[in-house]
Amino acid sequence: MANKIFDRDTLLDLTVNVVPLFIIAFFVVAFAVLSPFGIDPLASSIQFGLLAVPFVLLAILTYFAGRAVAGSEQSGEVYLPGQAGVRGAKPLEEDHGPAAIDPESTDDAPEVEGDGEDDADGDAEDDADGDAEDDADGDAEDDADTKDA
Amino acid sequence: MEVNGQLALTVLMGLFLVAVAAWLARVENWRSYTPVAGGGAFGQKDSYGSEEKPSGVIRWLTTVDHKDIGILYGAYGLIAFAVGGLMVVVMRIELIDPGMSLISNTFYNSLLTSHGITMLFLFGTPIIAAFSNYLVPLLIGADDMAFPRINAIAFWLLPPAALLIWAGFFPLPDVIPAQTAWTMYTPLSTGAGAGNQANAGVDLMLLGLHLSGVSATMGAINFIATIFTERGDDVSWANLDIFSWTILTQSGLILFAFPLLGSAIVMLLFDRNFGTAFFSGEGGAILWQHLFWFFGHPEVYILVLPPMGIVSYVIPRFSGRRLFGFKFVVYSTLAIGVLSFGVWAHHMFATGMDPRLRASFMAVSLAIAIPSAVKTFNWITTMWNGRVRLTTPMLFSVGFVSNFIIGGVTGVFLASIPVDLVLHDTYYVVGHFHYVVMGAIAFAGFSGLYYWFPLYTGRMYQKTLGKAHFWLSMIGTNITFFAMILLGYGGMPRRYATFLPQFATLHQLATVGALLLLVGQIIFVWNFVQSWLEGPEIEDGDPWNLRQSGLYTAEWDWFDQKQQTAIADGGDPDDETALTDGGHVDEPADDRSDA
Amino acid sequence: MDAEPGLSEQYRMASPWPLFIALGIPIAELGILFSLFPIAVGGLLLFGGSVAGMATESGYAKTPWRGLIGVAAPLAVLGLAFMFTRIGLPNRGLAIVAAAVILVAAGVAGMLFSPDREPTY
Ligand code: HEM
Ligand SMILES: [Cu+2]
Repeated sequence: MANKIFDRDTLLDLTVNVVPLFIIAFFVVAFAVLSPFGIDPLASSIQFGLLAVPFVLLAILTYFAGRAVAGSEQSGEVYLPGQAGVRGAKPLEEDHGPAAIDPESTDDAPEVEGDGEDDADGDAEDDADGDAEDDADGDAEDDADTKDA
Repeated sequence: MEVNGQLALTVLMGLFLVAVAAWLARVENWRSYTPVAGGGAFGQKDSYGSEEKPSGVIRWLTTVDHKDIGILYGAYGLIAFAVGGLMVVVMRIELIDPGMSLISNTFYNSLLTSHGITMLFLFGTPIIAAFSNYLVPLLIGADDMAFPRINAIAFWLLPPAALLIWAGFFPLPDVIPAQTAWTMYTPLSTGAGAGNQANAGVDLMLLGLHLSGVSATMGAINFIATIFTERGDDVSWANLDIFSWTILTQSGLILFAFPLLGSAIVMLLFDRNFGTAFFSGEGGAILWQHLFWFFGHPEVYILVLPPMGIVSYVIPRFSGRRLFGFKFVVYSTLAIGVLSFGVWAHHMFATGMDPRLRASFMAVSLAIAIPSAVKTFNWITTMWNGRVRLTTPMLFSVGFVSNFIIGGVTGVFLASIPVDLVLHDTYYVVGHFHYVVMGAIAFAGFSGLYYWFPLYTGRMYQKTLGKAHFWLSMIGTNITFFAMILLGYGGMPRRYATFLPQFATLHQLATVGALLLLVGQIIFVWNFVQSWLEGPEIEDGDPWNLRQSGLYTAEWDWFDQKQQTAIADGGDPDDETALTDGGHVDEPADDRSDA
Repeated sequence: MDAEPGLSEQYRMASPWPLFIALGIPIAELGILFSLFPIAVGGLLLFGGSVAGMATESGYAKTPWRGLIGVAAPLAVLGLAFMFTRIGLPNRGLAIVAAAVILVAAGVAGMLFSPDREPTY
């Protein structure tokens, strides 16, 4: 169950918080190994507590946030953030892509270099095949997630 | 005499209460509404159009509509910004020459204290609440806030808070302004010693601060409840927009930080008035610093997270593409939220605390820089190769990124203990946080004010003036605060009304920058007021052409719908529609006057 | 929002009470802090009355009268604590208790004498 929610893309998204966790862990080890100011029962336990508490809380919050987001990606439609309430908005996984909110006005679609609206979905399809790292557009990962589900 | 005074007060108070009661009775009557609940859903429907909102001043005094309250917050925040800004202009002019010339040193200290508190508590928090009140319900598809009346209470606590905080400047007998600086360090702020800080002006300021904290806490509870329970059916956690995410995180921070400040302030008031010794005894001064900064550091993130949300929202719209790494930005917001409670003592590195604890605070302070940096990279990558349109809101957002980089990098240096021991309590620190609070937070505020200007006014601002405002602000900010960073390197201590002649040039430069800022803000006020009253009306619901690039969002859709309804109604969107279209059950209730 | 036009119409968009709740708090705080008996009592009355009024308006209570008593109870506890515990601030405690007593009196009077929809005071 948990593994299903935390698929590869979600884990990748969560790496952003693993970095600060890693930095804190690094200092925990460093202070334990080097202990430049000596060990004192009270001061040292506060010292490590001050590192451990944020570490644990951040890990917990990251876990639950990841679960909430990835879980609702699987259970419901995924829209571009802020677009779910727009009348006639299309979910991201549909073929029209996010640009197709208002078909009339897309006639004069702008020249977008890189990954504009037109190929956004194309990218997402590719990403589902596993090269999410190359994904230049974080949201396209949403597509990949839902595709996997 | 004593008794007479009491009697007079009693009579006054009694009269006031009677007046209030009479007024309430009149309002209730006049709105012909039964205070007995239950009548709400039925029976009243056909009279809703005119009953929904009274007109004129009364409408603003009694509104519980989140959009009106948002506008009230905005007006309040901008007025406070003007007050705090004018205070600092006086200070900067005083600092043109090294000696004491224009104002006395004590008055300088008073202005310094009030400037800080005004900007942080009366401008920063409220201007953010302006955006969140107006937008969050629209963005998440809620009818209103979860507790609309609590929302109104939270706002109405603020005007008394401002009056109390500024009370020392009013011509009240025997009341002088507080000179404690915004950190209110004890023992000075307990009124101890030979100074004049036992004055009632300090008590009034503390009460005002306490009130603003109560207000912020109420608002935070409301936002948490709203975002958790009032989201529309389609708005899942996966679809929640970035601004609402930052408001949710900010509200969580407020919930843990502000009650603590409130308690500390009450303890301080007890010390001052009732002879307790929480902060005046052995270790009391350090206790205050710990309590204050346990609140104080999260407070800076309370102030910066929603502006980051605004910038994350605006930059993609004018880059023609989606926010790069949306989820990185979301998760790093949450990370900042948690970690911001683990770094508070980086403000106290120089207090002689145990070096082991100090090291831990340094470690977490370095770790918290990562999520901030991640966001910065995401903003830059979003713009990279995008179809960038340099509109005024976009300019302010780009300015945010630029200034935040300088503010953030200087912050990381301060987080390193050896560097901090050299730079602590110098102008370097002032430069650091002003790059963030002015260069970033205020810039994001302007970005939002311009971006959503059509949404809340139905009109368009004047573009040229908007750009002038931006460039003057950008150049002014960088001149002023970069000069401060250099002053700090030179060893100029902060919070002094006078200085050694060797610092004169940089101080004068900083003053020049501040005056540029002043000119820019005058232009802003003119543009804002004049465009609101007379600017060209917006006809379609997509003033920024977002549909083209598929970046159209819910709040504009609401606006679009409102425009269409107004036209279908044959009503001029500019008149008091609340009064004219009685009986239209299909009329959205929030179709209010645009004035 | 407007997903279902008409729905939001059932929300009342105005209420006179929040303003006075917000005014009552600082007035009461000032009165208590500076030991200004009438100000403290008046502020608390304003606060308590408005809370009861708002609770009625928003449907948490049928009439304001019990609300008045409900607000009075914690005030009485606080006031008594000020008077008789180590806090030791009898004058201020008395003001709080006085406000509580008046609120209770108003509540009881309301329950006994009012038809059902009088303004709270
Ligand atoms: C990027 C992460 C940041 C780091 C590592 C950081 C670090 C620091 C440090 C170490 C100090 C204490 C300097 C001293 O007094 O010696 C400080 C002061 C300050 N910082 Fe930051 N900062 C960061 C971001 C921010 C942000 C985002 C804000 C505002 C929203 C901010 C606002 C302030 C303020 C107001 C002070 C001065 C407090 C005072 O003494 O009055 N900082 N910062
Ligand atoms: Cu800090």
